[in-house]
Formats: sequence, structure tokens, C-alpha cells
Amino acid sequence: MERDDGSVSSSYRITKKTILFGVVPFVVLGVMVIILAYSPGMLFQSSIKPLPQVSIEKVEFLDNSIVAFIRNTGPSEITIAQADVNDRIHPAAIEPGRTLSRLADARVTIPFIWNAGEPYVIGITTNDGTRFSKSVASAAPAPRPTVGQASTFALIGIYVGVIPVMMGLLWYPFIRRLSANKYNFFLSLTVGLLVFLGIDALLESNQIAAALAPAFNAQILIILIAILTFISLLYVSKKLVERASRQSKTDTEYESEIVSHSTPDSEHTIDIHSSRSSLGSSRQQLLIRPIAISMMISIGIGLHNFGEGLAIGAAVLLGEVALSSFLILGFTLHNTTEGLAIVAPMAKSKRIPITKLLIMGLIAGFPTIVGAWIGGFLYSPIATIIFLSIGAGAIFQVVYSVGSWMHHTTGGRGLMTNAAIISGFAAGMLIMYLTGLLI
Amino acid sequence: MRSNLLIALVGVAVSIAVVVTFSTGLNRGPLSAQDPSKRENFGGHSPGYPILGTTGDVLDPTSLNIDPKTAVIDPMKYLREFNYGRTTALSNGTSLREYTLIASDQQTKEVSPGVFYNVWTFNGTIPGPTLRATEGDLVRITLINNGTKFHSIHFHGIHPSEMDGVFEGIAPGGKFTYEFTAEPFGVFPYHCHMQPLEEHITHGLYGVFIIDPKKPRADADEMVMVMNGYDTDFDAENNFYTVNGIPYYYMHHPIQIDKNRLIRIYLLNILEFDPINNFHLHANMFDLYRTGTKLIPDEYTDIVTMSQGERGILEFSYKYPGKYMFHAHKTEFAEKGWVGLFLVKDSTAESATENSNLTSIERNGSYSTTEFSNTGNGTTSFVKTGGLN
Repeated sequence: MERDDGSVSSSYRITKKTILFGVVPFVVLGVMVIILAYSPGMLFQSSIKPLPQVSIEKVEFLDNSIVAFIRNTGPSEITIAQADVNDRIHPAAIEPGRTLSRLADARVTIPFIWNAGEPYVIGITTNDGTRFSKSVASAAPAPRPTVGQASTFALIGIYVGVIPVMMGLLWYPFIRRLSANKYNFFLSLTVGLLVFLGIDALLESNQIAAALAPAFNAQILIILIAILTFISLLYVSKKLVERASRQSKTDTEYESEIVSHSTPDSEHTIDIHSSRSSLGSSRQQLLIRPIAISMMISIGIGLHNFGEGLAIGAAVLLGEVALSSFLILGFTLHNTTEGLAIVAPMAKSKRIPITKLLIMGLIAGFPTIVGAWIGGFLYSPIATIIFLSIGAGAIFQVVYSVGSWMHHTTGGRGLMTNAAIISGFAAGMLIMYLTGLLI
Repeated sequence: MRSNLLIALVGVAVSIAVVVTFSTGLNRGPLSAQDPSKRENFGGHSPGYPILGTTGDVLDPTSLNIDPKTAVIDPMKYLREFNYGRTTALSNGTSLREYTLIASDQQTKEVSPGVFYNVWTFNGTIPGPTLRATEGDLVRITLINNGTKFHSIHFHGIHPSEMDGVFEGIAPGGKFTYEFTAEPFGVFPYHCHMQPLEEHITHGLYGVFIIDPKKPRADADEMVMVMNGYDTDFDAENNFYTVNGIPYYYMHHPIQIDKNRLIRIYLLNILEFDPINNFHLHANMFDLYRTGTKLIPDEYTDIVTMSQGERGILEFSYKYPGKYMFHAHKTEFAEKGWVGLFLVKDSTAESATENSNLTSIERNGSYSTTEFSNTGNGTTSFVKTGGLN
């Protein structure tokens, strides 16, 4: 049959063959898997059992007990034998049961009268006698998802995320009035701020990832997510610009101070801010316009602030941070610069409606509240890592966009030869570092 | 085409991220299905401590029984078991006592409820059997090495160099008979002396050797107690501390003794890693005979502190019936298993059927005493004849 088919239509036969050739390696692989997994002699079998691995992911302090959320992050099934507090054995119970399959989780409850503010080490011993432990810097009652607690977290989010970003937006009129060079200074200052935030997000997620079980490969996940976010945002924004540019092709041919345009999508008002030197239209097509950049900065910062909110909520939950006005003040100062980052790119554009500014501020600031809720009530290190990495990828994409936009506005001369830009960039990072010391 | 690929890539990445997030972290709701009918209480051993309920498994080495089939020892049996060896009278009037010890190093046994550890043992238990002879007896101890490493027996006491078990190791499958005259009277440890010494000791190759004075000590309810520990995660720190091999064992199986009856404890500290260990007796005082080499007590006290290898004889009797604790007064060790109870009975007030009156002390509120050994009741259960094999 196959032979007959083949002799009749060559193109059809090739498709079939192609599929066949595509499948062959999988078949071989399948056979390999069966041989390795089910061979009675087990070709590669060590007499040494794989080492168990238990992650204590979260410790909660309840009224009369300490609850540890544990996960089997080792290569094989494990059985839990006992629990301890500060390396002293205590009666405990484990739900759903003492045997945990790979990556399964369980809840260990230890009746214990603990003292608020004191450090504790919670230990879990597996049936081969290996002990795993987690330190808690300071015992604090676990936040309960009550209205009161939720509004406390919301308030933290407002102070840490929304208010600072909104305050930063107040720089909008100031930046509008600056000369080109001074404006470049503030724009590169923004880039400096963003680079700092991006690095900060990567380092913070790396810190969480390093403490996590190796089974999650969390550290590589950070880089992966950041890169994927970066390239997909880059792709989306270029597509948007391309589409917008095709519609405004005639206008972009002209040399002008400011050429403004409206796309069907009102979010992306196009403001072409070209320099004195002439530019080819092909080059301009690839540039993203100021409001789009500002919107992307808002989104990037929003993601970052979501991660920050998660971290703050979790820190409160884990008793690592004593909530204080001073801490909140530190975050407020630190995050005010984020508002500046949003307004700087569009300062030289056509006047922006105040509602649009507010929306951008909310996009950047509001996720802090949501983050604090999730972090405080359902702490998950993996989720924190993922959101921080997405934020980092988004921020670096914004850095790239602002960078190429500035490159364009300065007429294609090297960015690194412009003193205002260099000093602005440096100042941006330093400001973030110094305000970060307050936290 | 290229864009489709990219979209697919991003789609996959996002879905992976979502799956990872929700499968690992955010699903903090009810854990997998539980049987609500299976509800047990746990906790509450100490006054003021909460008792909680669970549908899962209770993890409580302080009150749970250990399975005798997998346990490294039966501490109740060990407590009063003395091995006098195969005894024959030599022509010169001396008694010859022959013992056999089998060393092994490949078994995995339960050292605390639910915790399994590769134990190295003499005759399959930690501690190894208690050997007992009288001063002047000729003793022959045959070591059969059933393990995979070199082993030996090093006895404390007075004997010739070649019987010291240090320079000659017994190869796997090998056999050697140590022979010497039992002297002086006292309490002595015996243990493997192969390198690395720490490893051979901490895995369990040790026991007690008692040499009685020619004129026997006063009649008493005699018992052996060996203070040890287990480093089950090999970090040179003990995870468990015990007396007679199983943490907390005598908390849920109190040692029954009679009121006013003389109790004699042969106590040895073989604890590895920690510089000291000690024994503290509640609501009583004891006469302490350090190393057991004299008949006059060194001290009248309620606590004795010993370094590794130190030992002594403790003599006391209880004036009042009831439950009394004994434990390391190094609190850390007590809270990791080195703690037990004496249950003092007023035998004059009770009839011969006293055992039936010993029901379990309130479950969940205190330590349950479900299994009493009937080797108790003040009668020392000597294994007077016969070898160990």
C-alpha cells in the first residue's frame, strides 16, 4: 500500500515520510525508557538509597501550636518520623499522612506554647534519621485572612506602592519645562532607576530561589522567565509599533519637531519626537513612542511592585519584619522615584490627560496591595520568584526601549558620550541605592 | 510562521509558570483527601500543654510504642538481663566462663519510633549483652565477626596486652577468643576498638561487663543502664539520647520496683560526641560507687555526671509509692529521649495479682503504660547458665 502511494504522488509521500522520520527518535527513546525503568536487573542500580530531601516551606505560629508546611523535594518517596522545636523532640501530627510521595506536601502541627518575638528552629526528621530544619527569626502570630488584616495589608500596599508612585507623577510639569539636555539627564536617571530595580528583583528572587529545594531548579527559572518576558514584550511592542507606523507612514517621512498621531488604540498615542538630524523611516518604524514606553514602564513597575508586595506580605507572615512606620517610610521614599520613571519619557509629548496619568500610577502601584495580600495569606516562594522575574524581564525590556528611543532622539550619536545621560544614569542608580538603605 | 512559533513559545512558558505556581505554592487549601473518621488526639503530655486532634498520623516518639520486631533492643528485657556465660569449674577450683559475641554491621533497625538506622551490634542489640563474672574467674569471650569491616572487643579492666582488642582486629568472617582473669571487681564497658573509633562506637558496638566481688553485694533488684545516643544524620551531633537503646522507652514502659526494696543500677555512659552525660533521680538520693571498684560509697547524691566511658553503681530504695522520673540533668538530652520513669509499688498493700491492677494511665493525658514487662516485681531475672549463642 505504502509503496503504491509513494509511486503515485511524490509530494504526499514525502510528508508521510517526514512525519515518520520525526517520530522514529521518539520510538527509540520510548524503548530506552522502558528498558531502563522496567528491566528486572536494573542496569544502573546503586545499593545506596537516594538521599531524602525535605523543604520546610512555611512555618506558622498559631494559638497553641506551631504549624510547618513541608514538601518532599527529594527524588523518592519519604516517611516522616518526628518533629522538633529548637532541636528538642515534641509530639506532633502530620496531615494527610506521614508518607509523602515525590513533591507532595504535608502539614505538621506541633502543640507548643511559643513566645512572640523569639527565634525558633523547626526540625523534621525522616525515617532514616535525617533532620531538616528551618529557622524563623522571630515568632509572630500568623496573619489570618480577616477584614482587619486584609485592610492592614491594603494600607501597607497603598503606602508602599500607590502613594509613592502618585507622588512621583507630580514631577510631570517640572520635567516638561526642562531643556533638552536636562531632560536627557532625567530620562537617563529613569533608566538608572529601572536598571537598579531590575537587578534588585533578580537578586531578591535569587535569594529566595537559593533557599528553595534544588528540585525546583528555581534559579534557572528566574533567568528563563526574565528572558522570556523580555523577548515576548519586545515582540509585542515591536508589532504594535509596526502596525502603528504602517498607518502613519506618510507623516514619519517628514522632519519635524513633534509629529503627533493617533492610532485606533487610544492607549498608544504616537508622538514622534525626532531630532534635528534626519532619519530614515525604516529606522523610525522600529522605535516605540513615549506614551507606549510610559505605559510599559507602568506595567513593568507594577509587576515589580507585585513581587515587592509578595515579599513584604511574606516577611510579615514569617516574622522577619516588624512592621513599623520607619520601614514604610523607607519604601515610600524608595518607590517615589518609580513615578518619575513613568512620567519622564512622555514629558515632551503632547499634554497627557490627568486621568491617563492616574491610570498609569495605579497600574504601577496597585499590584503592591494584591501582592501583600497574597504574600501575607498564601505565602509561596515559587510564586514570588516567578512574579519578581517577570517584573525583572519587563523592566529590562523597558530599559531597552527607553535606551533605543534616547539613541534616536540624540540623533544616533553614542549615548555613552553624552555627559548628561551618563551622569543621569549614575545618579538614578545611586538614588535607588541610597533610598534602599532606609528599608 | 515565525510569529506563530514565538506565540507558541510564550504560551508554553506562561502555562508552565502557571502550572508550577498553582501546583506548588498557591494551593494552600485543604490537603489531599483525608478520612475524617480517623481522628486521633496528640500532645498534652505536660501540664498546660494543648491536646489537639488530627486526621493524619501522630508523630510522637515520647509516647508511641516501637515495633519489637524492628526495634534495636527490648529495653525492658535488657534492663535486668545478666549473662553469666557457659560456666565450668576448672581443676584448680577456678570457674571458667565462656561467652560468644557476634559482631555485625549491616543491619538497619529502628532506634526511635519510625527512625531506622544502620546499627553495628554485638549479638544484634544496642547495647550489646551484659556480661557478668566474679572476680578471679577465667573468662573466654569468643568474637565472631559477621560484619563487613574489621572489629574487635576492647574490655576495660586488667588483662594482658594481646587481650586488649586494640592492635589485633578480627577480619570479616574471622573469629578470636579473648581470655583473661576477671579483675578487679567493678563495672566495665566493652566496645569495639577499631578505627575510626568514633564511628565504631557511635554505631552501637558496646556493652557492659560486670565483675562481682568474691563476697557478693547485698541482695537487690539489680538493673543495667547504658546512656547512649544516635547520630542518625552523621553530623557529629546526636539526634537521639537514650538509656538502654530506645528514646523515651521507660516513659511509656515505667520500670516497676517495690517500695523499700534495694535497687542497684549498674550505670555506664558510652555517649559519643557530647563531653558529658548524667543521671538524675527524682524524689530520692542514692549511694554512688564510682566505677564500682569499692564497697564503700563515694557519695550520697541524686545526680551523677559522667564523661564517656565512666560508670558506677547506684544504690537506693523508694520510701513512697508512685511515679518517679529519672533522666539526664543535661536537659537537652532529656528532651531528646534520655528520660524514664520508675513506678514504685507498695507490694505489702497489694496481693500477688498486682499486675492486673496496673491499667494504663489515662490515655492522651499522660504517658500510657500499656505493656508492662513481667520481669519486674523486684525479682532479678538472671540468666544463670548457658552461653549467648
